[in-house]
Amino acid sequence: MTAAVEFLNVSRHFGSVRAVDGVDLSIAEGTFFAMLGPSGSGKTTCLRLMSGFEQPTGGMIRIFGQDCSAVPPNRRNVNTVFQDYALFPHMNVRDNVAYGLMVKGVDKRTRHDRAEELLALVKLEGYGARKPGELSGGQRQRVALARALINEPRVLLLDEPLGALDLKLREAMQDELKALQQRLGITFVFVTHDQGEALSMADQVAVFSQGKIAQIGTPSEIYEKPRTRFVADFVGSSNVLTAEMASRFGAPARPASLRPESIRIGDEGARLRGHVTALRYLGSGTRIVVAVPGGELSVFVTKGHPLPEQGAEVGLVWDAQAMHVMEEG
Amino acid sequence: MSLTAEPSRIAQPARAILPTRGLGDRISALFWRHPNVLLITLLALPLVWLVVVYLGSLAALLLQSFYSIDEFSGQIRREFTLSTYGELLQPANLDIIIRTVAMSAAVTLGAVVIAFPIAYFAARYAKGHWKALFYLGVMLPLWSSYLVKVYAWKLILAREGIITWATDGIGASAVLNGILALPVIGGNSLSTSYIGTWLVFLYVWLPYMILPMQAALERVPQSMLEASADLGASCWQTLRTVIFPLALPGIIAGSIFTFSLTMGDYIIPQIVGSSRRFIGQAVYQLQGTAGNIPLAAAFAVVPIVIMLIYLTIARRKGAFDAL
Repeated sequence: MTAAVEFLNVSRHFGSVRAVDGVDLSIAEGTFFAMLGPSGSGKTTCLRLMSGFEQPTGGMIRIFGQDCSAVPPNRRNVNTVFQDYALFPHMNVRDNVAYGLMVKGVDKRTRHDRAEELLALVKLEGYGARKPGELSGGQRQRVALARALINEPRVLLLDEPLGALDLKLREAMQDELKALQQRLGITFVFVTHDQGEALSMADQVAVFSQGKIAQIGTPSEIYEKPRTRFVADFVGSSNVLTAEMASRFGAPARPASLRPESIRIGDEGARLRGHVTALRYLGSGTRIVVAVPGGELSVFVTKGHPLPEQGAEVGLVWDAQAMHVMEEG
Repeated sequence: MSLTAEPSRIAQPARAILPTRGLGDRISALFWRHPNVLLITLLALPLVWLVVVYLGSLAALLLQSFYSIDEFSGQIRREFTLSTYGELLQPANLDIIIRTVAMSAAVTLGAVVIAFPIAYFAARYAKGHWKALFYLGVMLPLWSSYLVKVYAWKLILAREGIITWATDGIGASAVLNGILALPVIGGNSLSTSYIGTWLVFLYVWLPYMILPMQAALERVPQSMLEASADLGASCWQTLRTVIFPLALPGIIAGSIFTFSLTMGDYIIPQIVGSSRRFIGQAVYQLQGTAGNIPLAAAFAVVPIVIMLIYLTIARRKGAFDAL
């Protein structure tokens, strides 16, 4: 099967800034693919390379097997949901959604009917006559989605589409996007800096760091088997044990990741002892920082379990397999 | 930071409310308690100016236009009449109006065509030094005297001027003569033709088109152009369906300047062009040598009415929807 999007050693340099630096990736057709990373890590530039708003300074980009280095955005069967939605303020919702058909020369009747269908798909029936300025953030987001889908793209690109929404709405839209992707079977490529969002929605996650891909894998691989210290730290803020510490607990002498929720507090079989320096209440549990010889460890105590006092000495217990050995760096 | 500094601060505990420091603080407090007082203070002077000087003189003008002149005594008859407006419809006067409106429209159209690429460059591509250069380039002509510029143009356009010399030099004098041989807009030389008048108007009012247009284009987010291309639009389609409608308020604003400034001008057509009169010249002569203030006022009302009609149509067409 040909990949929906393929990057072969792709680079995009802006002067001396290497926004994207030798990226290889392959996105299988029909997957929900997340590009995760902090700002400036190159994830958005990668998305713009797919849509054609940026041209690579090196390497090759293939969309469904076709080299599209010389293909302008308007001839790529790829559509984008913009971070700021980029709805046309002078057109009503129906004309916004139908825009892709309008520029193709589809007659008014057909394109308006189709626009209504797509508005129904995103649950905005009857909103066609309104102007984008009269809609809420969540509604604008849906209009942007409908507009991007009207040309039946083979790949849908989403640039932090939920970033401007409040938490409650964001969670609802996450579920909806996921359901929509499964229903339509289109490849979705999604840029986000929110690791929770990437893990909960995507089939595959690429973690970006400084213009390069630090790791590609399924959400559980990324979370449970981070390959580098950066991934471990960025995705779910893990404890990173130094090589020296890891070897003390029977692992190879390389840095190891140890998730806060894998550590229990208890004296029996304690691998380490330390003093509690901070407690942070998080609702579903409490994150405790324990100062241990050679550093500090975060421990997540779920609700209902007894909490130690600040300054108390505690023992820390974890299973040997909870420690995940990483590469150097 | 040493701890020894602490006791002195504790010895004199900070007050919750600070003492006033004089008149400035008391005025600030007054404005804070009564925001309307601030508003009135800010607006009083400009409002007096606007209402009394500006709208007042406009009302006086309007009033004058409803008076008429006694044909025998030459005195102004201060009685309401529409006969002065009737005079505007006489063929000679109507010609002046049509000539002026046509010239204003041509100047506006020319200004839109020339200003758009410049404004687009400034809004989308110019950064840092280039932006400064743009503003300098657009504003620089405004710093020199209007009369000097117009006379300079007369020299450029004259039969003995640089344009004739240059076209001769490259062997294109046939083209220039062909243009001058055109009916109505042609003439003896560029400096005595409508083309010359149009060129000078265009030059003098162009900054007033570029600046609002650039401001409007600058407000069109890059993502909107990208969205249009992303959905399959060609450059031309994006220009027509996204950029132009969104820049329209700026274009309208600019066209108000170029249109009304051309309609009111009486110096350029006097220096450069055929000797046929424009509204400005008619007003100048009627209120001066002819002493026919009512007709001058009626002439002066024409541009105002035309602008009001123009703005109404523009608003109906949705030119201000994107504001």
